[in-house]
This record gives sequence, C-alpha cells and structure tokens, in this order.
Amino acid sequence: MSENNNSLATQKLIVGIFSILLLIILIIVAAVEMKQTMEPELIVDISGENKNCVNCHIEKSIAVKSIDLWKKSKHAEMSISCVDCHTAKEGDFDAFFCPESDFLVARHPTPKDCAECHEQQVNEFADSKHAHQFWLIKNTDRSVFENPISTRHGCEQCHNVGNLWPDGSVGECDACHPKHSFSKAVARQPETCGECHIGPDHPQIEIYLESKHGNIFRSQEKKLDLNYSSKDGKPIPIDVPVCTTCHMDGNETQPMTHNVSARLAWESQAAWSFRTVWLEESLGNWEMKRSRMESICKSCHAPDFIQTYLLTADLINLQYNEIRRIIVGMNKKLTEKGMVSRLEKDGKFYSDPVLTGWDEESEYLMYHAWHHEGRRFRFGAEMMGADYTQWHGIWEVQDDMVNMFKFAAERGDPEAKKWVQSNDPIKFAPYALYDIPGNSWGINVLSNTFPYVYNAYPDYWERIKANVKAAYENGLLSEAQWLSWSKRYENKEHYLGTKYNVDSVYKIYTDRDNLDTKSMNKKAVELKLPGKPFWSW
Amino acid sequence: MIGKVKEWFMKRVPFNQEKTSKVMSKIFLEEPIPKHMKNWYYALGATPLILFGFMVVTGILLTFYYIPSPDKAYDSVRYITEEVSMGYWIRGIHRWASNLMVIAIILHMVRVFFTRGYRKPRELNWIVGILMLGVTLTLCFTGYSMVYNQLSYWATTVGTNMIKEIPLVGTTILGFLRGGEEVSSNTLTRFFNLHVGFLPTLLFILIVIHIVFVRMHGVSKLEGNENEETYSFYPEHFYHTIIVALFLLTFISALTVIFPPGLGEPADPNNTPAHVKPEWYFFAVYSILKFIPLKAGIFLMMAFVIIAIFWPFIDDMLRKKWPNLKAHYMIGSLTIILFLFFTVYEIIVH
Repeated sequence: MSENNNSLATQKLIVGIFSILLLIILIIVAAVEMKQTMEPELIVDISGENKNCVNCHIEKSIAVKSIDLWKKSKHAEMSISCVDCHTAKEGDFDAFFCPESDFLVARHPTPKDCAECHEQQVNEFADSKHAHQFWLIKNTDRSVFENPISTRHGCEQCHNVGNLWPDGSVGECDACHPKHSFSKAVARQPETCGECHIGPDHPQIEIYLESKHGNIFRSQEKKLDLNYSSKDGKPIPIDVPVCTTCHMDGNETQPMTHNVSARLAWESQAAWSFRTVWLEESLGNWEMKRSRMESICKSCHAPDFIQTYLLTADLINLQYNEIRRIIVGMNKKLTEKGMVSRLEKDGKFYSDPVLTGWDEESEYLMYHAWHHEGRRFRFGAEMMGADYTQWHGIWEVQDDMVNMFKFAAERGDPEAKKWVQSNDPIKFAPYALYDIPGNSWGINVLSNTFPYVYNAYPDYWERIKANVKAAYENGLLSEAQWLSWSKRYENKEHYLGTKYNVDSVYKIYTDRDNLDTKSMNKKAVELKLPGKPFWSW
Repeated sequence: MIGKVKEWFMKRVPFNQEKTSKVMSKIFLEEPIPKHMKNWYYALGATPLILFGFMVVTGILLTFYYIPSPDKAYDSVRYITEEVSMGYWIRGIHRWASNLMVIAIILHMVRVFFTRGYRKPRELNWIVGILMLGVTLTLCFTGYSMVYNQLSYWATTVGTNMIKEIPLVGTTILGFLRGGEEVSSNTLTRFFNLHVGFLPTLLFILIVIHIVFVRMHGVSKLEGNENEETYSFYPEHFYHTIIVALFLLTFISALTVIFPPGLGEPADPNNTPAHVKPEWYFFAVYSILKFIPLKAGIFLMMAFVIIAIFWPFIDDMLRKKWPNLKAHYMIGSLTIILFLFFTVYEIIVH
C-alpha cells in the first residue's frame, strides 16, 4: 500500500510539475509571439565591416540610438548598412579615420551618396526651390539687421535643406527623412514641413492646422499610417491630405515627385506675387504646374469647387500686388524726396526702398507688409487658412498701409496728409480692386449686401471686370479661369445671392440681435455703480 | 401558461418524459467522477472543449466580415480589427482561444500520458485523442493563413512545402491543398473551406466519439487506486466547469487587451521576408528540421506520429517485457523537455 502511495505521489508530482511548467512557458511563448504580430520584429543582417562599426559604437556608447533607428529602417530591411552610405575615399572633404581604427569613413553622406540608389529623387529635389539658395542671393536682413551667430541656428538651420556641398551636390535629404531611420512616415508628418514653414513670415503649418485639411488630419492622426509608397500610380491611401499629398505624393494621374515646385503656380513668398517661371523648360509654365496640383485636388474635390477656390486665391495674390504698389510707392517717394534715408557706408547702400530697411518706420512697414503680413495674406488664401487671410493677413497689411500714410504725413508728404485728413470711407482702397461674384462654399444670400463699395459704386463690377480681364490678358489668369469668372459675372445676382429674398428668416436674427443689444446697453453700457471713484477728472 | 405550452408541445412531440429525464440524468448528471479529479491538472479534459465552443461562436461572427480572397482577406481582417464594433475582441478571443486550446490539449495529454489513462481498455480513445490533436493543429494552421499577411502567407508557403516531402503522395496532396504551384487564391478558398467547414465538423464528430468512449468506460481511475471514491458530475464538477469557462473568458479577454493579435504587413508573394516562421506550436518541429536534412526530418516526424498513435499498445508490450520499467515516464519527460527546449530556443535565436 505504501509503495502504491509513493507511486501515486510520484505520478502526481510529475503531472503537476510538467503541467505548471508547460502552462507558464507556453503562455509566455504565445504572448511573446502575439506581441510580435503587433510590431513584427525586423531581422537585421549585420555582418562584415558593418559588424565592426556596430560593435565598436555600442562598446564606446557613441550614437547607439542611431543604430537602433537604422535597425528599424527600410535600409536595414534591404541590407543597406553603415559602410554603404558612409563610404569615403582618401581626399574626400568629409573623410576621416574612425578613432583608434583604420576605417576611413565619410562623416556626412551627401545627396551624391543618396543618389547612388535614389538618383531620381535626388535629381528632382535639386530641381526644386528647396535647393535654391535665394536666401544667400538676397540676404540683406541677415547681413545687416541680424548678427551672424544668431543666424547659425536660425536661418541656416532651415536653409540647410538646400545645402551646397563641396562635392557639388545640393540638398540635405535628412532634413525631412531623419537619419538613420530615413522614415517616409516622419517625412510625411506635417510637423516635419512645419519645422521650417512656421512663424510670422511663413506659417504654413499653422495655416494647415487651422484649415479643414489639418483639422481632419488631427482627428484621424492616430489611425493614419503615413509610411506608404506613392510612386506606383495607386490612389492616395489616406483620407485626408498632409502637406506631401498635394505637393509631392502621387495619385492615379500624377507621379510622385521630390520637386516641390512642380505643382506651384505662384511665387507668393516673393515681394510681389508673380506667376512662376521656375524651370519652365522641364516643368512647363504655371498653367501646367497648376494642372498638376488640380489633378491631386480632384482626388477629393469637384472640379468646380477647385476652380473657384484657386481662382479666388489667385485674385488675392493679384490684389496683394496692388496694395504693395501703394505701400512701396510711398516709401520710394519718401526716400527720393529725402524724407527718409537709406543705410549707407562708403558709397554702398545696405537697404532698399522697395525691399528692405529697418531704421526708418516706413521701411520697416514696407518690409513687414511683404515679408510677414503680405505672405500670410496670400498663403492663408491658398491653403484654406481663413484667419491668416483675414486677421493675420489683410487686416495687418491694411494697418501697415495706414501707418505708412500717417508716417508720411508726419514727414510732410502732401498726398499722405490729404489721405489722413480725408473722411471718405473709400480712402482705405487707394488701389485697384479684384473680386469674384460669390465664393466656392455656396450662396450666402445677404453677405453681399453690406460692403460699402457694392452700394456706393454702381460701376463696381464693371471696374472689377476690367481688372480681371487685364490680368487674363497679361497671362496672370488662364483662359479657363477667365471663362469661369465671366460665367459667375454673367450670373452674379445668383452667385452673390442678391436675387433671393430671405428677409423673413433674417428678421428672426435681427430681432434677436436687437434684444442682445438692448440687454448689453442696460446691463453694461448704462450701468452705474453707487461707490464713488477713487480718482476723478 | 407554461403548462399549456408544455401540453401543446408534448402533443406534437410525444415521448416518455419521465424515462427520458431519467436516462439523461444518468448520462449527463450522475456520471461518477473519481476524487482525484478535484485537482485542476488532473481535470483538463473539458478545457479544450470550452475553448472549442468559444472558437465556434467567435468564428461564426468573424465570417460575417471575413472575405476569403487574396485581394480582400487582409483588408477584411483589418476592418474587423479596427472598425467593426468589438471586432478586435472577437478576433482576439478566436486567436487566443486557439493558442490556449493547443496548450490545454497538451496539458490534458500530459495527465493522460503520465497516469497511463490510455491503458486497456481505453486505447482507442487515445487514438481518437491523437487524431483530435492533429485536426486541431490543422485548424490552427489553416486559420493562421486566413490573415493573409506577410508572416502568415510565408508560414503557409513553408508549411505546405513540407507536405511535398511525404513519400509517394506528398506532391499530390500539396497540389490538392494549394490548388496550383504556389500559395494563391485557390489555396485561400480551400483553406477557408477546410477551416470553417470540414475540419470543425470532423473535430466535433471526434469530440462526440471521445466523450462517448469516456462515458462507456467511465473516467479512468488512478492506476493502483482502482477503489478510489467517486462523486457525481452534477453539481460540483458541473459548476467547476462553468467556473473554468468564465475564468477562461476573462483570462482570454485580458490577454486580448494586453497582447492583441496584430495585422502585420499585407501578404506580398513577390517579396520574401527576411525571416519566415510558423506559429509557436510548430517551433519545436521547425527548429529540429533545421538541424537535420528535411527528408530525414519528415521521416522522424512520421515515426513520432506513428509511435504516438500506437503508444498504448507499445507501452503494453514494453511492460510485458520489462515489468518494472516505467517507459512512459522517461519518454514523456524527454518529449516535453525537448519540445520546450526547441520551442524556447527558436524564440531566443530570433
């Protein structure tokens, strides 16, 4: 009996131990495997010389995270390793021997190295305005107003995107594709563009995030996988555009491009808006570039909406020029008459009455009306950033103009004096106007009954038509745009909504507004407190 | 009201209610359970059945959305996981229940093996059990291929490649399963059919046979303790089973939340990933096959399967020859240790 008991006890022990062992180990194994299905672990081949690089860097704790990033990259997946990019020949500008070794490596791979595999992308980039060193060519603010050290981590950091290397190659691929992951997803993240396209002078990221595009992006951001290939003529795989969707990525009709200038029709960062002539011989004229952009827009929008939206943005660009003409004209006149002076040393001028200058109020206003407010006004209109077109845009451009007139009047300019003294409401439009009957969103019946110019000038639309026609005849608008504008003009009572009567509905709101005003007057304006003030006039 | 309904029903379906109730009670409720079954690792037979039940229910729900075509399979799984209400939970339960079912079957086999539950007269039920293990693993294999991501596509390719090595009929079976030279849309529809139709039905029939055998022979008592006391299936063991079912549902839900099954990259037949591997329960076999030539490995596996099927008879012969040799302890322990070693080794080396 005792032997039998022993035998049963042994059996129980064996079954118990193996059951517990199997249960614990196999559940852990299953969990480890299941976790891998979430983030499939990449199996990276590190061999040959690369093994030496990796081992030494880990041993000496130098840029170890770079190795981790590389391990997760497409490069690692394709067995593109350290020496494939960091290869160097003796005499190369960035060649150096790794400390305590005989490895000659390139400190900084340039676009020339990237082009070994990504030739098309590098060439497209080199043809884009990203690669253009205009900031060096027209760089008076940096050379005069700002001290060089401040601009090292300022202007230079962003304009590094178009770095001109000693090996003759142009650009900095990792400005967008961060080393060493070279991630497509990071490059597509709007904040990557926003690293530079931000701030008072080019707030594209803020405009984007304010727009419906950016808002939808934010709401879907966590679900979006931006790590897709865009070069195979497939539909756009995400439901909301990020910056690259419109400016670089492909769809069924457009090839993907690293030339961000290929789809832009304006130079609206420039002091004057003008239709781009950038690389016309290969990219075609502005109409061709616009048609590329429209092909992308058509992935989501109806042609009529695209036409009206972009035409309105184009007219805003043209309107900017007319305002600038007045502001620049005044500053130029003050300079010519000696009422303001230019920066000068040894017979050389360091400010320009039509472009730059910072020590005279009028120069400063003229510069800001372009470089800050004028850009915001135009970019906002192009990228659906209403607040940037309005309050950060035209409001401040107009403010600059008013202050320009006040300054000129103080300095004794008779025309400016006349402007300041005038009580005519139309004095805020001392320039020619552009307009379009209605907007791209719909018909808002009463919104066009208020503007002063609509009511005070019966020939308003005739004057506008003449200006728009002139723009078309000067090649600033396409024929399709002119026809589209004319169609709206012919039927403007419809597009402006003036032929519809919705007074009864509107009255509901005016009645409510009257109640609000009454309440405000009673509870705020007319309120008198019993306690005496502590200081009286 | 209830009386009237009952009367209406009995008129249309006349049977001896009292006799039926007595028979049913004897079959299902009064089954004598040996006392040692109160210990959890002696009583794991119902666990795979409960998990099979979970998988049938969640599997039916998954077919509401799953589309077995190469173009749409991955997207439909993604849709289930990311967009269908509670889809991730249903998919997670299905996936985790399959993992746990394999573990539960292994644990059940450990108990039966070491207690020699297969001994005369229960040899045939052991063979039914081995067949059930085979069907379950085939269900797992076909189910894994349904996801149609890179890992599952290439695991299916590599897994089915092995079939080719079976002597004489290998190539024919491979062609029959794949429906062509390579894993393609034909393979997917065939595997889908096997996974949701033929194999579950086969497993269900085998489960019924397995339970009928158990009821005919009675639950085996521990060897050398044949006079062990018993207790009735209902209520204690019945409620234990319910508790186990509820625990499993909670445990699997927790696993689904902590380790949800992912989606991976969509299958790309033109791009072989750097590392191809099967599901973890095939790791041991997969790992061993790397150390020996494929043909030898296939023969070894087949030999192992044949020994496993006929083990009750082999064990009996060994005992007759060497009465004191506890061959099942040695062989069982060695198999488990090797299985665990190679499974863990495969994870560690990658």
